[in-house]
Amino acid sequence: MNGPGDPPRDPPQRPAGLIGRKPGDRRVRVDRPRAAYFRYEGPGVLVARAKASEPTTPLGKTLARIRRGLLGRPLASEEEIGERLSKRKALAIFSSDAISSSAYATEEILRVLVLAGAAALTFSLGIAIAIAIMLAVVSTSYRQIGYAYPNGGGAYAVGKANLGRYAALIAAAALLVDYIMTVAVSTSSGVEQITSALPSLSPFNIEIGVLAVGIITLGNLRGIRESGNLFAIPTYLFVGSALLMVVLGVVRIVFQGAGGPPPNPLPAAPVHDTVATVGVLLLLRAFAAGSVALTGTEAIANGVTAFKPRPSEAHNAAQTLTAMAVLLAVLFVGITFVAHHFGVVAVDDPATGKVQQTVVAQVASLVYGPDSPGFYLFQVFTALILFLAANTSFNAFPRLAAILAQDGYMPRHFAFRGDRLAFTLGILLLGGISAGVLLLFRGETTALIPLYSVGVFVSFTISQGGMVRHWRATREAGWRKRMGINAVGCALTGVVSVVVLVAKSPESLLVAVIIPTLVALMLFIHHEYESQAQELEVRPDAVIGPPHREERVVIPVPGLTRAVVTAVNFGRSISDNVVCVHITDDLEAGERVRARFERQLPGVPVVIVESPFRSLVNPFVAYLDVTYTDPSVVTIVVLPEYVGRHWWDRVLYNQVTNRLRQALVGRPHTVIATIPYRRGS
Amino acid sequence: MLPFAPMPDSQPAVTVKRVVLGLSGGSADPLVVRLGCQLVRGQRAELIGVHVVEVDWSHDLSEDISSGNELAAAILDHAEGAAEDFGATLQTSLLQARHPGAALVDEAVALGADIIVLGLPYRTRFGGDFAIGRTVPYVFQNAPCRVLVAREQMPVENRPLAPLGDRVGASA
Repeated sequence: MNGPGDPPRDPPQRPAGLIGRKPGDRRVRVDRPRAAYFRYEGPGVLVARAKASEPTTPLGKTLARIRRGLLGRPLASEEEIGERLSKRKALAIFSSDAISSSAYATEEILRVLVLAGAAALTFSLGIAIAIAIMLAVVSTSYRQIGYAYPNGGGAYAVGKANLGRYAALIAAAALLVDYIMTVAVSTSSGVEQITSALPSLSPFNIEIGVLAVGIITLGNLRGIRESGNLFAIPTYLFVGSALLMVVLGVVRIVFQGAGGPPPNPLPAAPVHDTVATVGVLLLLRAFAAGSVALTGTEAIANGVTAFKPRPSEAHNAAQTLTAMAVLLAVLFVGITFVAHHFGVVAVDDPATGKVQQTVVAQVASLVYGPDSPGFYLFQVFTALILFLAANTSFNAFPRLAAILAQDGYMPRHFAFRGDRLAFTLGILLLGGISAGVLLLFRGETTALIPLYSVGVFVSFTISQGGMVRHWRATREAGWRKRMGINAVGCALTGVVSVVVLVAKSPESLLVAVIIPTLVALMLFIHHEYESQAQELEVRPDAVIGPPHREERVVIPVPGLTRAVVTAVNFGRSISDNVVCVHITDDLEAGERVRARFERQLPGVPVVIVESPFRSLVNPFVAYLDVTYTDPSVVTIVVLPEYVGRHWWDRVLYNQVTNRLRQALVGRPHTVIATIPYRRGS
Repeated sequence: MLPFAPMPDSQPAVTVKRVVLGLSGGSADPLVVRLGCQLVRGQRAELIGVHVVEVDWSHDLSEDISSGNELAAAILDHAEGAAEDFGATLQTSLLQARHPGAALVDEAVALGADIIVLGLPYRTRFGGDFAIGRTVPYVFQNAPCRVLVAREQMPVENRPLAPLGDRVGASA
């Protein structure tokens, strides 16, 4: 049985009949060579089987085996899982990003406040409550998006539908940046949870972070589905253990009077010592730092279609979104409350400057007991949910990139699914950039935070603004109230965007540069695709007639070989005007070639081009330039090519042919045809 | 949508190692595939779909008349796809023979099949008697293994009337 790429089969021999049990009974088994590669689907329609996509060369087969070992067997499109999620599973799947931010949001607030001294730390709880209120507003606004866009209301989609492409592209660019930052921040924070429990690993935090990103990337290339149980377990373990920690901490503080002042002296050098000197800017910076807790809030509104349809996808998504917001608010405010009363502040290693023990790890240590199983388990759960949060970006980023590619704003390769139904290029790009960001910022969460959440609030603002336009345009029942909610959300997130940008400057300004740069790049790509589409368009009313241009065939020949004969015969089959061109630095040898052609291939003119400078390619191209100047004539350059059997044959043969091909690609009115001659044919 | 009512999912009643499905390309083929898939469910059994192209005496038997035959390919490929929908793997075999029944029995014997499953579309001869054809009787009479025949549902207009006493409104 032969497949595509294999040598042609010998003419089929008549199969011998098989003798039946009764005299005279005979049957013949019919070989169906096509059946292994294609399945008949209907008249003129064949479906390629997996075997048809398999490589045929030994090198290709080896690479495919390695890829299969790493990534798993290729999946057919129909194998894509279309499972609808229950609210419980969806909460775990879509909320890991948002809920996990409670593991580092408190720490970021305290890191800013500690600069103003111990007294400033009292503001941490108020800031946490303010952020929780903002979370309530944003989640209420996003509930409405879920109802209005049950097919998935990402900021890009909402912006495109209501505010035009520029707003949509700004939202898309902001989200792309933020997905990268989510991976970097979640991974670095996850690693810090590990090193908080095992300080001896602290010097290797960058390596562990990059390794974690590599593993998540590889897992996603294998097509890890956000399958319910796998994702639900770590999320609920973290939520359960964190809630227990908060409850135990509150009980001890309220009923047992536990707690204590912050360490004296504070680990960070205070610049001020009294509450009176805590400026508005410092509070705004703390607020901006803690607002990272809101990242990931939009995930549920983006994935409404994944919910079960009863009573409706939007209803289930809205309930899940509320549950997520409540959980996040309780955990965030609760952890901040306990940390504040226990006098916990972020502690860095004075020698390395790296995080010694995270705030949430210190709270766990105080509540569960240092070196207790409860502490270590909590750290494991926290690290797991943080890595899981990084993984959600690996789902969102490639999908957004694919949507942008389909709309022509990113290279089309981003819309292609790989063997495992995953958007391979988007996953690789996200993994590569995130690992680079981790390396650049030495895997330190605090160093990454200023770049984080700017994009989120920009996309929040655009989607809320888009919703205001949506309600005004549709005027559905209760549109005034709904528009009011989204308008409040838009105004609030818009203000917070500016606050975050200013408060986290100058680092955050980098994002303010990256986002417009990305928008400009996407517009450039779109312009290129549009131009190409216009150039290649065939008008629907156009009727294409038969070709009427004259064709001439030119064949560069090194001598008379079987490969050349095959190429000449091909050339003669498509045109009567065939010329062989022999470039040589030895005129006498050239004349011998011509004589041989006249003797063995009569009727095929041979032009000898003497090249005293021994160059082969340029004289041939120059010959084409000077001899065929009529644009109404198509020049077909037929290149004889010897096809070897081994990979090293590529090194030994066809070097001139390859150079000629490269020199001729793009030449106007020129077609290049490569005629392979297989060894043994 | 399959043209028959779903069968209850049940554990296999018989242990089989190899089941041969006789595929004619008729409307009963989906029923045959489904029955075959149910037979092998939960067992490490092979499912082999056989389609026999009948060669008349104007052609030599060994003449290749079916390898490029789209209809034969369609019959086997559709059966294979239907089996995949039921979660089973169907191997296919295309035969040429003078008598489809004999070829089917001989192939089943050669493969060591435990059961042959055949489909029988409900067809009447000129609108009159039920026509069973010649393949099913031949396989019934000659197959050394068990034979299952799944007959298509009878059209409503052809269903025999219930006995007089069972009819609604019949008087004693």
